[in-house]
Amino acid sequence: MSKCSKLPLIALLAGMTIAPIVVSAQSAQPAAGGDQAKQRVWDSLEPIKPSYAGKKSGPAPRRDISGIWDAAEQDGGRQPSGALEHPALTAPRGQGVEGGRPDETGIMRPLHYTPLGLEALKANKPSGPSVRQVPAALANDPVDQCDPIGFPRMELFELRTIELVQTSTQVVYLNQFYGNFRVIWTDGRELPTDPELRWNGYSVGKWEDDYTFVVETVGLNPRSWLDHAGRPHSEDLRVEERFHRVDHDNMELTVTIYDPKMYTEPWQGLNKFPLHLQPPGFDISELLCSPIDYAEYNKQVGSAVLPATDKK
Amino acid sequence: MIRKLRVIIFAGVALLAACVPLFAHHGGATYETDKSVIVKGTVTEFVWSNPHVFVKVDVKGDNGNVVHWIVEAQNPVSMMQIGWSKNTFKAGDEVEIDAMPAKNGNPVGFLGSSSPTAPRRRIVINGKQFQP
Repeated sequence: MSKCSKLPLIALLAGMTIAPIVVSAQSAQPAAGGDQAKQRVWDSLEPIKPSYAGKKSGPAPRRDISGIWDAAEQDGGRQPSGALEHPALTAPRGQGVEGGRPDETGIMRPLHYTPLGLEALKANKPSGPSVRQVPAALANDPVDQCDPIGFPRMELFELRTIELVQTSTQVVYLNQFYGNFRVIWTDGRELPTDPELRWNGYSVGKWEDDYTFVVETVGLNPRSWLDHAGRPHSEDLRVEERFHRVDHDNMELTVTIYDPKMYTEPWQGLNKFPLHLQPPGFDISELLCSPIDYAEYNKQVGSAVLPATDKK
Repeated sequence: MIRKLRVIIFAGVALLAACVPLFAHHGGATYETDKSVIVKGTVTEFVWSNPHVFVKVDVKGDNGNVVHWIVEAQNPVSMMQIGWSKNTFKAGDEVEIDAMPAKNGNPVGFLGSSSPTAPRRRIVINGKQFQP
């Protein structure tokens, strides 16, 4: 497994030192960075954290979360081991990825399942690095076959760049990874009862104060996973998002899961996760899932790395 | 079965920066994350697609046999963030790529995380260093 330095401060300093060196060594394309992102008109590069850390920003506008918001160059935007607040790991930061476990015994911040929830967890075989990982060609992650990511997984996995468009009755939410959109109604309507299930659910939102927009979502198709570690949910799932506009360039997103059928208590997938405002000309790269490409990948690469005893 | 290649224990930078997740979709269960294999040969194909880009390299063994290697990385958008493009490799390029070998001994390697703060594995294309 990957060996982790016993001196996290040295590792952090090394990482912060390596970052600008690595970035400046790129010869093929302009390096990622706050200023370079403006130079690239198409397929804009997400600025890396050192380029905006510590930068001062103007005051937050009132009742406004619109814009292009980038998350990926935070450590946790991609969340390969599961929701950022509860990665399916036995040790911090990339360790504990030995794979093969059916449940979450021994993980750092375990979730508390009902019997039904535990059964549903075990049926999900994730391909991402975690204590529960299986080789890609043996996984049953619906996203690996290009099924819709669904909500809230689009925030608890591969949260990269999103665009929020605010109208008088809606917030339209566009999400880069595998091309999702959802509509959050702000016209005062109530959430539906007993709705037709949707991969992205039904959402209503309102301002709790001038800087905090709270969204409730129900009616979610239980075929979607909650995160890349295969956490399950039922039809009764309710998700609360809190978008808190901290200042002009910064927003914090908190996502809370309420699903008493599967979990004995609510839990947060994201807790004040930072999003950074991008310039209005930021062109979000396309990242769509092609079933044909995925099948070809599995055929050429996925099956070639299977353990010999596991080949189908 | 796979031609034997020198496997170098990967130390130094990997240890220093190893406290961050080293891979997004694969890793511990599939590849030897703290080892190196140098895949040296001729590119036959470069697949620039989801879910992972991969380059196919024909490697000539000591006895003249050719082994068909695959080296995979992350998705195209992630790779663009660290300087790759659809034009990074083309058929006929002579390459040396430092990859993590597959645990099952098959000729497949992995380049690890595409995070800009993760250490880059050495890639040489037609005699020119592409990444350190």
